[in-house]
Amino acid sequence: MEASSVTLPAGGREGAGPLPAAFERLFRGEYARVVGIAQRVLGDQGEAEDVAQEVFMSFYRAHPADAPYAAPWLHAAAAHAALNALRARGRRSRRETAEAMPSDTLAPDDPAAIAVATETRDEVRTVLARIPERSAALLALRYSGLSYAEIAQALDVRASSVGTLLRRAEDAFRREMK
Amino acid sequence: MNDNEIEKALATGDWGVDTESALARFRLRAERERVVPIVAAPRRRVATGWIRGLAAAAAVVVVAGALALSGAADTVLKIFEPKQVVGVPVTQSDVSYLGQACGGLSPQQCLGAYGTFAWTTPPQPKEVQTLSLAAGAAGFSVQTPSSLPSSVTGQPRYGVVNQSSATYTFSADATRQAAAKQSRTIPPLPANIDGARLFITGGPAVVQVWGAPANANPGELANIPTLVVGQAKAPVISSDGVTVAELQSYLLKQPGISPQLAAAIRAIVDPASTLPVPVPAELAISHPVTVQGVQGLFIGDNTGIASAVVWQKGGMIYEVIGSLTEAQALSVANSMR
Repeated sequence: MEASSVTLPAGGREGAGPLPAAFERLFRGEYARVVGIAQRVLGDQGEAEDVAQEVFMSFYRAHPADAPYAAPWLHAAAAHAALNALRARGRRSRRETAEAMPSDTLAPDDPAAIAVATETRDEVRTVLARIPERSAALLALRYSGLSYAEIAQALDVRASSVGTLLRRAEDAFRREMK
Repeated sequence: MNDNEIEKALATGDWGVDTESALARFRLRAERERVVPIVAAPRRRVATGWIRGLAAAAAVVVVAGALALSGAADTVLKIFEPKQVVGVPVTQSDVSYLGQACGGLSPQQCLGAYGTFAWTTPPQPKEVQTLSLAAGAAGFSVQTPSSLPSSVTGQPRYGVVNQSSATYTFSADATRQAAAKQSRTIPPLPANIDGARLFITGGPAVVQVWGAPANANPGELANIPTLVVGQAKAPVISSDGVTVAELQSYLLKQPGISPQLAAAIRAIVDPASTLPVPVPAELAISHPVTVQGVQGLFIGDNTGIASAVVWQKGGMIYEVIGSLTEAQALSVANSMR
């Protein structure tokens, strides 16, 4: 799923055919969360929205909108597709990353703070691409606000295992960040 | 680094999404690409004709990697060694046209119409009891998934295909005779291809199978519906007189090659290092994916029943195939260690 290779218009136009009502409900209900998961991985909202479009399109092509596994499928696909995109896009320049950062998270007149934060964000993305896929997906899902039960459904693991798996993922993340 | 610091590191700041604009964008694309939604819940974990076909495709890839070369002369040049895999959509019409072009012959018989194929060392699949025995028999380190979807249960069975070899010799006479026998017209074999030999090498291969019926032959992947993980040394083809470009050019002149299929074959930028994987166009979708840090190919059926991921890395071809979603197939593939 190469999100970066997809070029789509930024907005819609009147006259585009209707989608099944169930799918529109699913899209409206899950879009923000799918983008959020992808953005945790990619650190770039535009790229995360491209990934979300691809994830919904993959689902739309192959699954009914009322499938009971729809939401967990989308969550897992968002994490994995974003990780694929992260690995595929290569290393971004610091300047691009700094531009992608929300302005309200940094003091605009503190170049040193910007440099440190940029370096950290670069490293975070490098580490996410390097640690085991499932660990990275776990972190993306958990820190996007999914519950243990939702993570268990998305990653097809037992809910009772999520805490342990998450701790291992966090340990792996910490080790690589050192 | 505590949990709060991890949270902070992964933070993306305040942002908002415009869901309605995104939905409009989606509608536009679905309309432009004429995407038809699935309305019936797909059956899961069912051994259908499609999964058997996909398993057969897996067998082709794995067995292709189980061919080996022996006794090549100094004049032999390596003409094919895959470094990547690509999907080539093949429509039912293509299959039908090709069948007609070969006068109803099977693919093997059709191959025989252009020359002679001979095993030097034929593949002999066998089952072994453990992964370490499989690795020992294959002579390489075998990767296995470190995590599996909960739908995949039980212990795997292991199959090993030995290193084997074959030679194919092109023959203008055989081509003429086969064409006359079938009352069909095909372009004459170019003089430089007549008599040229292909030495096909590859293998050994190891397959790990979950959900295999107890009485199933591990070499018959069609019996296996749940999960198959294949690993094979990438096939290498050498020749003493023909290049891949010449073979491609001759192949494209054959009757029954549709313009779409020809375009897909021509689009392979480097045919000497690209393994084309036929994808049934009406039944499956395929697109490139990043697997284990390299570009691979995802193949999935249109109903979400089955999927496969194929990739090449470090001289090996890997394949994960089963009743999996794309996310699950990629997760299994990326968990292989």
